Amino acid sequence: MTQKFECGDNAALVGYLYDECEPSERRAIEAHLARCAACAAEVGALSSTRLQLAAWTPPESDLGFRIVSESRSNVIRPKQWWHRPLPAWAQAAAAVLIFGVGLSLGIIGGGERDVTQSAEVVPASVPDAGARLIGSQLTPAVSRDDLAALEQRVRAEMSQMRPVTPAVAGSEAQLLARVRALIDESEQRQRRELALRTAELMRDVDAQRQYDFARVQRALGQFEGQTGLEFQRQRQDLNNLIRVSQRPQ
Amino acid sequence: MTTATDEELVARAQGGDVDSFNQLILRWERPIYALAYRVIGREEDARDVSQEAFLRAFRALPAFKGQAKFSSWLYRIALNLCRDWIRKQRRAPVQQIPEGVDPVEMASEGGPVESIEELVARKELSEVVSQAMAQLPEEQRTAIILKEYHGMTFQEIADLQGCPLSTVKTRLYQGLTVLRRHLERNGQMAPQLVKRS
Repeated sequence: MTQKFECGDNAALVGYLYDECEPSERRAIEAHLARCAACAAEVGALSSTRLQLAAWTPPESDLGFRIVSESRSNVIRPKQWWHRPLPAWAQAAAAVLIFGVGLSLGIIGGGERDVTQSAEVVPASVPDAGARLIGSQLTPAVSRDDLAALEQRVRAEMSQMRPVTPAVAGSEAQLLARVRALIDESEQRQRRELALRTAELMRDVDAQRQYDFARVQRALGQFEGQTGLEFQRQRQDLNNLIRVSQRPQ
Repeated sequence: MTTATDEELVARAQGGDVDSFNQLILRWERPIYALAYRVIGREEDARDVSQEAFLRAFRALPAFKGQAKFSSWLYRIALNLCRDWIRKQRRAPVQQIPEGVDPVEMASEGGPVESIEELVARKELSEVVSQAMAQLPEEQRTAIILKEYHGMTFQEIADLQGCPLSTVKTRLYQGLTVLRRHLERNGQMAPQLVKRS
């Protein structure tokens, strides 16, 4: 049985447009469209609009969401943040921040020593390439002799300030030695940490630079290829025109 | 090797297998992002909404009983978030209009088969469609997006929008009509079917 279609039934037309109607309804609409120019034009125009909608695509976006850990409050994060392009200002800011933190840690840990001193005291035998690199890049400004003299002067001043019993003096000396050892150990650890972080940062920046460079090159290559093709086509057209114009009338 | 269905992955994820849920994310992140982008019109916000949708889905997974398809459930979460976003903004979605045509970027997007002219035309049409969609009321825009770009049935859209099926058809008709007029006003002539002699 064929259904009847009322002219102007837009809901039914939409069903027909998206091919979501009963076969009998479809037949009824097709029969109506064959004799009603207005409805046929309407369906044609809506179909064309649908074709144009296909041009609207969302921009490419680096998504890569994933659940990071079940225990850490189910955080969802884009994976591998370091694979995402970082703006140059962010890279520079990160480098300055890391350097500044390392610098201040060195100053705090080193007490009265300056930065060049603390860099200088990194022993060459420390089995850490980064630490050695940092140490070799800085020039020592104060020698060990200077340091020893300074230490003696401080000791002398302290002994003048507080006359103490030999037993207490002995225990203080031990304490001082222990504190000094702790400070040295801490400094070395901080220096190694700083060197490691700097090396990591440099590696990331380098990788990012290479990635950006490759991307730009790829894009340029495609663009050049297309421009070349276009140029070739135009030259061919021009040759054809010349050939035709030179042909005897 | 057969690919696990959504239902299988959901069951495993409900059993505590986080990797299975990550597979679901991988499968659905592009459609959900595309939906969010087209509804709210901002790339960064669409990313945030998509991320939040998956996070909410993961947290609500134990309560998901499977009465609806996982994808429908996920779409509902994403659409609710989009609606919240629009309410918060209290204004029509703003389309990101590029400052200028970048031939290098366009060449890298288009691939070797499309000429520069075709690329420019497609980009322009995309912009016009995007602007036209932004003119539509939210319900009409969402109905068209779900139908045109996500291939949902009238019934699925009606379920998602919580309205009768006839209302969905009306929204689609009205929305398409407004879009057609907007496109015509902006010089985008509808493609014609040409008969070859």
